[in-house]
Amino acid sequence: MTSVLLVAALAAPVFEVTLPHGLDFILQNSPTPQKYLIETMPGGVALLDYNNDGLLDIFLVNGGHISSPMQMPENFERHDPRYWNRLYRQNKDGSFTDVTQQAGLANAGDGNYGMGVAVGDYDNDGYPDLFVTNYGKNILYHNNGDGTFTDVTAKAGVAGGGWSVSAGFFDYDNDGKLDLFVTRYMDWDTKHSKDCGGNYHTYCPPEEFPATTNILYHNNGDGTFTDVSQRSGIASKKGRALGVAFADYDEDGFTDIFVANDGMQQFLFHNNGNGTFTELGLEAGAALSEDGRRLSGMGVVFQDYDNDGRPDIIVTELPREIYGVYHNDGGGSFSYRSLETGLGVLSSGSSGWGVGLEDFDNDGWKDLFVAQGHVLDNVEHIDPSLHYLELPLLAMNRNNRFERVDSGSTIPVAGRGAAFGDLNNDGWQDVVMTYLGGHPQVFLNRGGKLHWLVISLRGTRSNRDGFGARVKVNGQTRFATSAGSYASASDKRLHFGLGTAEKANVEVVWPSGIHQTLNDVHADQFLDVREPEKP
Amino acid sequence: MIRALLLLWFAWQTLSPEAAQHMRAGIAADKQRQFDVAIAEFRKVTELEPSYADGFVSLGQAYMEKHDISSAIAPLKHALDADPDLAPAHQLLGYALLAQGYAAQAIPHLQRVDDKTGLGIAQIQTGQLPEAVANLQAALTARPNDPDLLYYLGRASGLLSKQSIDTLLAAYPDSARAHQALAENYFVLRQMPEAEKEYREALRLRPDMPEIHLELGEVYAGAFQWAKAEEEFRTQAKLQPGNAEAAYRLGTALLEQGKAHEARTELLRADKLMPDMPETLYSLGKAASLEGDAAAAEKEWTKLLSIEKESSLAAQAHFGLASLYRKQGKTAAAQHEMQEFQRLQSSSNQQAPGKEENPH
Repeated sequence: MTSVLLVAALAAPVFEVTLPHGLDFILQNSPTPQKYLIETMPGGVALLDYNNDGLLDIFLVNGGHISSPMQMPENFERHDPRYWNRLYRQNKDGSFTDVTQQAGLANAGDGNYGMGVAVGDYDNDGYPDLFVTNYGKNILYHNNGDGTFTDVTAKAGVAGGGWSVSAGFFDYDNDGKLDLFVTRYMDWDTKHSKDCGGNYHTYCPPEEFPATTNILYHNNGDGTFTDVSQRSGIASKKGRALGVAFADYDEDGFTDIFVANDGMQQFLFHNNGNGTFTELGLEAGAALSEDGRRLSGMGVVFQDYDNDGRPDIIVTELPREIYGVYHNDGGGSFSYRSLETGLGVLSSGSSGWGVGLEDFDNDGWKDLFVAQGHVLDNVEHIDPSLHYLELPLLAMNRNNRFERVDSGSTIPVAGRGAAFGDLNNDGWQDVVMTYLGGHPQVFLNRGGKLHWLVISLRGTRSNRDGFGARVKVNGQTRFATSAGSYASASDKRLHFGLGTAEKANVEVVWPSGIHQTLNDVHADQFLDVREPEKP
Repeated sequence: MIRALLLLWFAWQTLSPEAAQHMRAGIAADKQRQFDVAIAEFRKVTELEPSYADGFVSLGQAYMEKHDISSAIAPLKHALDADPDLAPAHQLLGYALLAQGYAAQAIPHLQRVDDKTGLGIAQIQTGQLPEAVANLQAALTARPNDPDLLYYLGRASGLLSKQSIDTLLAAYPDSARAHQALAENYFVLRQMPEAEKEYREALRLRPDMPEIHLELGEVYAGAFQWAKAEEEFRTQAKLQPGNAEAAYRLGTALLEQGKAHEARTELLRADKLMPDMPETLYSLGKAASLEGDAAAAEKEWTKLLSIEKESSLAAQAHFGLASLYRKQGKTAAAQHEMQEFQRLQSSSNQQAPGKEENPH
């Protein structure tokens, strides 16, 4: 399978860490002496082309203002422009223009403290829509196609409530309409907050608060959604969910769900194909560490790192736990491979959040990027060997073993969200990372000589975004999704590094079940693949 | 004991009937924990019979039982004035003085009755640490599971250790051992860069101190620098090929880096040097599993479970076996191991609810 693959280019990618002109967002998390847990958890970032001009735009989720102590009713002053979420339209020269107000995205709701974002074209009109998660009520913004968005939350029935973090669009019943999964962290509010750590005054561990359920919404196709959490079985498991990612791990044609839970076992919701899910994390070997320990799951990616065609899972966690690599062995079974892949030694002292498996050097192997930084802003006082501010991890995949290389970043930060995509359409994957209290960091990949292919799916029988499709190019496989990472949404286009190959064979298995093959596709192009109307 | 009872009986015979009546009333009240009544009755005994030492002892004891320690001291001293050899008076006065912070004054009284527990505690306060350790160890022989004794012995030993280190640091601040001691302190505080610096200085001064490599390796392991930890453990293992801990540490450092084959070699060596250590057996199973040698992994974990059945390592071994059997398609065996794992997990969760290793 990998014979068509590619010479291992040992040169690492060169990232220029930059703040493009116009991208003046600051993630306001408002840390207080009360140590309200929400303060350390935002915020997401999305890469999407909202106006279909071919250039990726950036949407950034803001936290909000927290008074010290919090007054009732809760008000995070989201009407103040400092606390707005922001949409930045990319200009042709690589600069950005803040279009938040004109796009109708300025009102985030005063009672909402922002967390994350999901992107998907839920009404199949060709324009990506936005779903913003909050501590408070979530918001669905419909993209009107004219550069503006409309808050359709009430009509759609997806406000939820409590504390939502990550979310993602996917089509669990293959009806051609994107459904919505929303993770919820725990049963917590500012009234019942407390600090832990004695004299150190730290944020409390998740075990201090009750677990809660996640939400699954079924897309009715008329602009409304139905909460099917109970009848689908999703609500039968209470967790402390922070991350979510989707892929069909057992190749039964139905997209499954992996949920990264904090301080407990991880959830793998197997899609039974009849509208219900069964949680099989423990049985499948994807719930705990190799030693049977609970993990502080935060971010997650569900893609194939070893080019065996099956989606694997990487979960980011706290120090001493090491990031979990669950290799998909086939037959619905996973094995824990953090040590074999070298990720154990790279992550044992770090706290990981946003995460992506992307082929940054176009050598045909997906590499790893992790936004890092501890939960506790005073962790050094408790354990000097740990750090609140960290550099991100960039690790190149060398024959299924990850090796750390310079990410280009020199200033440690409290990294949180991360989204992946080709910002400047040069065929080399870039990264946008958020961190608490600062501007986003944009990692512009300066590229190299190897070849690439970027595929845009256009579903016809399947959902228009093609989410859930399995795309194989020269022995590599990607599962189409914008979800994953932490509280973030990535470019929906599928990027493949081709190494020295100048042509590629492309196979797409659409969620509708249609198989499509394109042979001898020229490298170094943006390829639109439209789903055949008939099998 | 018989002699003491006889003496008490003879003493009672000398009491006036009125004093004896108050004595009986005091003892009865004391038994019923009516200490104020007992104190009043015993006081009357001492007023009626000022030379009757046992009356003062009883009065002092009642005060102590009432936790009015300062009031107990005077009657107990009076008892000893009346009878300098009265053992209960020495013992009670010793504890009363100790409780009031007069450790030096308590010691002669406790020595008279050879009360090793009291002596050990008093000697901690007076800084006679070697004597305190000796006395508390002797007391612990008689009462091996006494939590107070265990605590005080630990405290005395710790202080003695600190005293030795302080002397070392004061007298020989530039010695290798002084740097080693400082490094150990930094390690406990998890100040790894400082610990590393001190260990390095110790090694510069005395390259012949092999145990430092082991400790330095632990510093690197604590700071997640596994390659450096491996280097130090390897040096230690070369210097001391018979040191099982060095072999085990080297094995685990290799394992952390995913070097399963090398790890297995070292762990097998550790197992040979010190057979059947559960930690070694668990890591051996893990290394074998990483190498894809399922039979060996099964053998090591099964062996571990024959030694330890309820520990966290046993839970981990069950979990490892469950994964192994699942991959082999042995569903029933995998389910059984998973059930055992979950049983042990749930019992350990009940013992330590909300236990969290990570600062979160």
